[in-house]
Amino acid sequence: MDEKVPRSNIIETEIPMGTVHPAALEPYRVRFFVEDEIVQEAEITIGVNHRGIERIMEGLPVEKANALTEKICGICSNSHIWNSCRTAEMGLGIEIPERAKYIRVLMGELERLHSHFLYLAHGCEVLSHETFSMRIFYMREIVMELLAMVGGNRVQYGCSVLGGVRPRCDLDEAKLLRIKNDMDALEEGLTGFVERFLADSILMSRITGIGVLPQKQAIELAVTGPTLRATGVARDLRTTMFEYDDFDFNVITQPDGDVKSNLIMRALESFESIKLIRQAIANIPEGKVINRDWEMFDTDITESYIEVPRGTLYHSYALESGRVRHCIIRTPSMANIGAMQYACIGDQITDAQLCIVQCDPCFTCTDRAIEIVRR
Amino acid sequence: MGIKSFSRARAIHVMLVYTGGCNGCDIEIVNSILSPRFDAEQYKVFLTWNPREADVLVVTGPVTHLNRKPLEAIYEAIPNPKLVVAAGSCALMGGVYKNCYGDIPSEEIEGPVENIIPVAAKVPGCAVRPQDVLAGVVSLLPTLLDAD
Repeated sequence: MDEKVPRSNIIETEIPMGTVHPAALEPYRVRFFVEDEIVQEAEITIGVNHRGIERIMEGLPVEKANALTEKICGICSNSHIWNSCRTAEMGLGIEIPERAKYIRVLMGELERLHSHFLYLAHGCEVLSHETFSMRIFYMREIVMELLAMVGGNRVQYGCSVLGGVRPRCDLDEAKLLRIKNDMDALEEGLTGFVERFLADSILMSRITGIGVLPQKQAIELAVTGPTLRATGVARDLRTTMFEYDDFDFNVITQPDGDVKSNLIMRALESFESIKLIRQAIANIPEGKVINRDWEMFDTDITESYIEVPRGTLYHSYALESGRVRHCIIRTPSMANIGAMQYACIGDQITDAQLCIVQCDPCFTCTDRAIEIVRR
Repeated sequence: MGIKSFSRARAIHVMLVYTGGCNGCDIEIVNSILSPRFDAEQYKVFLTWNPREADVLVVTGPVTHLNRKPLEAIYEAIPNPKLVVAAGSCALMGGVYKNCYGDIPSEEIEGPVENIIPVAAKVPGCAVRPQDVLAGVVSLLPTLLDAD
């Protein structure tokens, strides 16, 4: 299927979902316009949990603002604080110790693992396959305990600070050994899951060709992250980030852009993350983890892009007497909303929730956009 | 123990409402009920998404302006006896979002949850730990079972 054209004439039946709905954890509103149980048009409305983080950050000292960015999202909290610190470090020209870079990459990849496992578990749950869902949730606990071991909390570990990572997040031999052993256990569990998942013909027939997002449309909608790579575009910001210079990994792509491609995409990417974590603990350099030798001065607006579990994350702000000004944050789900709306078109209404979940929505971090209407 | 509380003790249904936090508490709570590691179902505590079936309402998040009415509607829809657990520092005191401008409260935030619906148990933490949520829900069971 190349082209799915949204209909422009009036469609009479509307099925609204939300704002609080069982299948979707987060509050958002979606309206499906259906004809004969086939979705002709979908419309997602967000803004229910707008809290105004950027406004709170405005005028805060940069260290406090960095800690606050973590509260944007409970799933990819480390990515936000990492990118926020990175923005200030780029503006102020702070050198980061090598060991801190490795620990940041390690935390980033652990977080990618837990986010992808959550995606797989949630996807299987929406597919009504409870057994797979439970198995992945059980594997995910291994990652959560590693995150708690390194950062001290299961969610929101506050690993990055200006100039490196918190001294508490430094890794000793025992911790490195535990991560190494857990990665072995995780790889074994994940391999077992992927084999059983691919061999399940009922499940495969249920997800093949559902929620197709063609490549051309994905590029047009500026979709990012694994959702884009599942349509066959090999675009990963990790290949350009200086933190990943020493690491060797493959950019995974999948051909079809349907639910099957998306689910397999996340599973294969988890293997790459395990590979990256193994490289990080094998080659971690000695030395200090934080560089406190830097000076504060006023900077222009600095921009930083990193690859987070869901796509490209953008932070930008200027510094004025050590305080944050003109802060803008753009999260990957913002770009992927278009993909979610498009993927639903042409499918049964019963699959609509699956089509939305396949794009890995995180509306909590997305709710910050303000539309300015000129009158 | 009457027959009512006897049967009630075998099916405590928890409903989760998420009112605009950061998703951290939310996933931890779904984990504590769903995931096999913490497995609340062994204490006969089940997760439901239907307010008419629920006994305990777990609220996370600082209750944003647009979420106030849905939360009130859900609370109204739950049959008596009903008890509310506020989980996470956002639900307890508005978290980092409430008093962001010093003494002037944020316009976006209606919370804490206490201002909107009566709260029976409070679970602190940012984000809450699944063990604490389980303890919070289990601590409500005597009140729930003795109610008419």
